[in-house]
Amino acid sequence: MNKGKGPALLEVRDLKKHFLPRKRFLQEQAPPVRAVDGISFTLQAGETLGLVGESGCGKSTAARTLLRLIEPTSGQISFCGKNLTDIPETEMRALRREMQIIFQDPYSSVNPARRIGRILQEPFEIHGFQNKKEKTEKAAQLLERVGLPPEHFNRYPHELSGGQLQRVGIARAIALNPKLVVADEPVSALDVSIQAQIINLLSDLKEQLDISYLFISHDMGVVEYFCDRVAVMYFGKIVELANSEQIYNSPQHPYTTALLNAIPNLESGRIKQEAPIKGDIPDPGNPPQGCAFQSRCPLKEKQCAEEIPALKEIAPGHYAACFLKQ
Amino acid sequence: MFYYSIGNSKTGFIKDQVRLNPFIVKTKMPSRELDIQDLKISFSTPRGKLTAVNGISFHLNQGETLALVGESGCGKTVSALSILRLLPEPPAEILSGKILFSGQNLLSLNAKALQNLRGRSISMIFQDPMTSLNPVLTIGEQMAETLLRHTPMSRPEALQKSADLLGKVEIPSPKEKLKHYPHQLSGGMRQRVMIAMALACSPRVLIADEPTTALDVLIQAQILELLGNLKRETGMSILIITHDLGVVAEIAQRVLIMYAGEIVESGPAQALLDDPRHPYTRGLIASVPKLGALKKTGTRLEEIPGNVPSLDQRPSGCAFHPRCNWAIEKCKTQKPPLREGEGQRQWRCHLEPGSL
Repeated sequence: MNKGKGPALLEVRDLKKHFLPRKRFLQEQAPPVRAVDGISFTLQAGETLGLVGESGCGKSTAARTLLRLIEPTSGQISFCGKNLTDIPETEMRALRREMQIIFQDPYSSVNPARRIGRILQEPFEIHGFQNKKEKTEKAAQLLERVGLPPEHFNRYPHELSGGQLQRVGIARAIALNPKLVVADEPVSALDVSIQAQIINLLSDLKEQLDISYLFISHDMGVVEYFCDRVAVMYFGKIVELANSEQIYNSPQHPYTTALLNAIPNLESGRIKQEAPIKGDIPDPGNPPQGCAFQSRCPLKEKQCAEEIPALKEIAPGHYAACFLKQ
Repeated sequence: MFYYSIGNSKTGFIKDQVRLNPFIVKTKMPSRELDIQDLKISFSTPRGKLTAVNGISFHLNQGETLALVGESGCGKTVSALSILRLLPEPPAEILSGKILFSGQNLLSLNAKALQNLRGRSISMIFQDPMTSLNPVLTIGEQMAETLLRHTPMSRPEALQKSADLLGKVEIPSPKEKLKHYPHQLSGGMRQRVMIAMALACSPRVLIADEPTTALDVLIQAQILELLGNLKRETGMSILIITHDLGVVAEIAQRVLIMYAGEIVESGPAQALLDDPRHPYTRGLIASVPKLGALKKTGTRLEEIPGNVPSLDQRPSGCAFHPRCNWAIEKCKTQKPPLREGEGQRQWRCHLEPGSL
């Protein structure tokens, strides 16, 4: 799915992560839960790719797997031409300078017993900066870069608000000038009035530092605003992938349509197009045969219950996994 | 016929009614289910006595959906919990005010009278259905408990009624689900169970505290639709607490915007969303990326600068002034006056109307 703009920064091929449920005594091993079940996409340098879907669809697992924070079951991840799946941990650690992650909940992603300044120096320590003065200076610069006053340097995480602490999380991620930042629901835990601040900060940093983002979110509005291309995930698979104009103006997969219809609209004169779709995501321990969306799909046909639709290009750069569109 | 917007001004109300339904000419003032007057709540903490809710007044009309909107720490949940006296007292303390429910002040009721009220006349649903359901009891046992407490019926009858209620909230195979434990249901299903339990005794008022915040968008849309349908069927009034303006646009008829323990703006939902009068409301609406208004290259989201003030650092004067782009000298020291506009609009701001 390379769009032919030169080598991709990140290329993911058929990535899978299956979790084996714990085997109970005298019981047969349950089948694996296919959290991420064969996803492929590319991310060009300077691009922002959105990964959207409901909770449990595997988007966070996908993000952690491709940074090898959890080991993939199979598949290839190539980052700057290097295949991450078969390099040793030592080399991986060095490569992590180039790929960083921002988590959803800023409070649980920093050490509560350390001061902010110390938290921000840690990336430099891990990657071999020993000079104490230099480290302190760099950490102070980071604080300024993410818009925090210098007096926060000696504060503890609990003294900061959620939005301020998320800025610390972002500062930590950009400390070593990474090429790729995975942002896993970076604004979902924040207050509405703070979300816009953080989105603007991420946009500014993208401009200044030439970062590419993999932006994971369940908020279709934020994704439309922030992302160049969007991948929609459902039950461990990418069901639609296109640039954001295509996704938002002409969604092809019924799941994408349902997601867009479910967003409340603040403007008056709105007409609710359709009733919300019924049902829930399938039980991961007992996946359905055929298309995973069939239980909720308003357009379901016979074929959908028998075969799993593959992700196919249906228009230039627009991929969808639905029999009705192929 | 629903009551679109109701305030103190009688003439405005009738005008609205006539506009919405030309067949209704003579209307009476809708009765107030809940009337909260000058409610002030504080918490005793190691840092001293902190005021969480600073003298708010509002009312909930019969059959209306009222949304109480605000960010974390603004006092919206505390206000809602205080209605049913669910706050732990101490550390919480209701310093002043009245909570009138059909003319009766709930603040002067004893524990037993309150117990009879909870779940029967006024019900509540919470944000996280997993923590508000008992994990070691089956759905049937928990649902029957409410019914057996408030109505004279036998256990089998209560279980039958529970199954009916689960069917009403569109849970498939309700009889079977009665034997399930909460962990066996999905988040959306658990929230439906909570709603079914809350509706068991046909309450007149439902207080919903962030009922969809923990749910996915598709499930949120289902739950909001369900609440709307149930309200139409039963004629109950809903007080919904949320931080999500999208939810407001979806189901509320009237909105109260809360900031730092005070109500800063109130009015009919659509009018308020289209034409906010308070700078905070305006900022909240502007900071939500609008779908379809596709990013023009280089445009930034409008943001509200600064942070939500914590309880012990609420600013003087207008609490919003440190974050307000329009703040003038007066805002720092003086409480803003309550302004009233046409169509039951109220807001607290020093700025002259129309200067935003």
